[in-house]
Amino acid sequence: MSDPRLVSVNLLAYVDQGEVGTDPYRIDRDGSPYVAVGDGGVVLGLRLGDSVFDHAGDHAAPGACLVHPSGDAGHALVGLACLGNRVVVRSGAATGSIGAVLGKRGGGQRVIAVFAPDDLARLRPGDQVALTSRGQGGPSPAPGVVQMNVAPGALEVLGLEVSNERIAAGVRTTMASRQVGNGIGRPTTMWDVDVQVVASDPATAGLRLGDLVAIADLDARTNAGFRRGWMSVGVVVHGASPQPGHGPGVTVVLSGPATSFSVHDEGESHHGLTEETLLSMAGSED
Amino acid sequence: MKVDSNVAQLLTQVLTGEVWPPLADRHGYRVDPDGRAFFLPGMGGVTLDVHVGDAATGHAGDHVEPGLSVRHRETGANYALQYLTCVGNRVEVTSGPAAGAAGFVIGQHAYVLVDMDPDDMRNVTAGDQVRIIARGQGLRLALHPDIVAKNMSPTLLSAMPGGTTADGRLEVHVSAIIPPEAVGAGAGMASEYANTDLMGAYAGLGTDLSLGLEGLRVGDVVALDHQDHRFGRGFREGWTTIGIISTASCMLYGHGPGPSSILSGPSGAFQIVIDHDANLKSFHLDQSREQS
Repeated sequence: MSDPRLVSVNLLAYVDQGEVGTDPYRIDRDGSPYVAVGDGGVVLGLRLGDSVFDHAGDHAAPGACLVHPSGDAGHALVGLACLGNRVVVRSGAATGSIGAVLGKRGGGQRVIAVFAPDDLARLRPGDQVALTSRGQGGPSPAPGVVQMNVAPGALEVLGLEVSNERIAAGVRTTMASRQVGNGIGRPTTMWDVDVQVVASDPATAGLRLGDLVAIADLDARTNAGFRRGWMSVGVVVHGASPQPGHGPGVTVVLSGPATSFSVHDEGESHHGLTEETLLSMAGSED
Repeated sequence: MKVDSNVAQLLTQVLTGEVWPPLADRHGYRVDPDGRAFFLPGMGGVTLDVHVGDAATGHAGDHVEPGLSVRHRETGANYALQYLTCVGNRVEVTSGPAAGAAGFVIGQHAYVLVDMDPDDMRNVTAGDQVRIIARGQGLRLALHPDIVAKNMSPTLLSAMPGGTTADGRLEVHVSAIIPPEAVGAGAGMASEYANTDLMGAYAGLGTDLSLGLEGLRVGDVVALDHQDHRFGRGFREGWTTIGIISTASCMLYGHGPGPSSILSGPSGAFQIVIDHDANLKSFHLDQSREQS
């Protein structure tokens, strides 16, 4: 039994198709046009553990994006969905399949859900899913630290341990607040933060989907913003982007004074969240 | 600015817009950096009291837009208005009791922002129509191919001090250098639209939030370190973007006074000169100098 104060809500969502504007091209940071692939919708061939840089995608997420067509209902869906929440497909060829919420992205628009490859391949944009949200309002795990966007028990699954009022976090890497692009100044229950990193930087070249990462001097308790001496920890939920000011997305799960964290940069030895672990968590949630 | 350019080739497009009312939702409150709720004026309408040269911090406001906030009712026409209008362009009021009054564009913020004489501004309100003489997009600096110019009227270009140096760089006078940690909302957006909110300018709040930017003024020319705004707004080591502070005080966290981007290129292509007078007010961007 998880924290009894939390409230669970059954939400309706739809598998996303992704949208492209009237012009097929976006412009990359050097001014060259490209066609965005994998920006929302059902993306095959990309899985947790893959490099954020190895695919020719734009904000591509490992699984299916879930949306609600009504604006405010969409905001509620995205705001309430938490990492580890169970998703059950209710219509179409994949009816009955169980997925798990990985994270969220972009202005209260999309929830990212992970499915086993066979289930994912049977999804069709427009399929209905039921998502049982639970986690927002979770207890503070250490002094001054706000927890968000995670189901009960998810912190342990992410390898976050609390002892002596400090959170021990083994992360792939710690980035600087100056690297945060799109998502800065936005509420972190609705929005991920894109980190402006490139494959040629050794500090972030090894970044993989599902990694736990830390961002120094970022206070993300409400909106994400610069605050000296603060720390935010999150999960990498989508891949890189050629667009200036964009990049791999981090759904923040903890934010508070840096003194409440003990962050260890694990580099190549870091093991991020796996499909098996996440699906197992959602499968056992009740 | 003493610099060879293609100003003679630029086209002028006449646009219309409408002073847009402030917008709120029924919950009213937003949240400041310390988690406190606030309800403050600032965006939309006609904001009196704040003009070029005035402090950009310290007002009891949020996303303060000096002067007139102008949009177009049609989506596509509005994008044309927001993208094509440049800092320094002439704006004429064409309806209401202030009809005939003129001002000039100080920047964009999802609205075109217009400063004018306070006596004229007092008579303008939401719904009044304006005419904008848009000129500047397409500007190129012939001897500085690595630098992209945008949102910059020929009037502003000619009024700014600096220009091509003996060693081929572009000398630009700025009143402040902005560290990349300050860049807030606006990152990742098109640099012809809205502006770059700067954090670290929350006058009166904690030192842990400060990046030493509390002295910014509306109209200040600033240099943003490690920012490449040629094709959007992004962090990039070794690049510099020049902007004009077009919005003022902000309490919403991750937001703040912001520059509209006007020049962007490799840092080595610029010679930055710190100059307290690098502000639109000192340039005397008198609207009569803009073509009408």
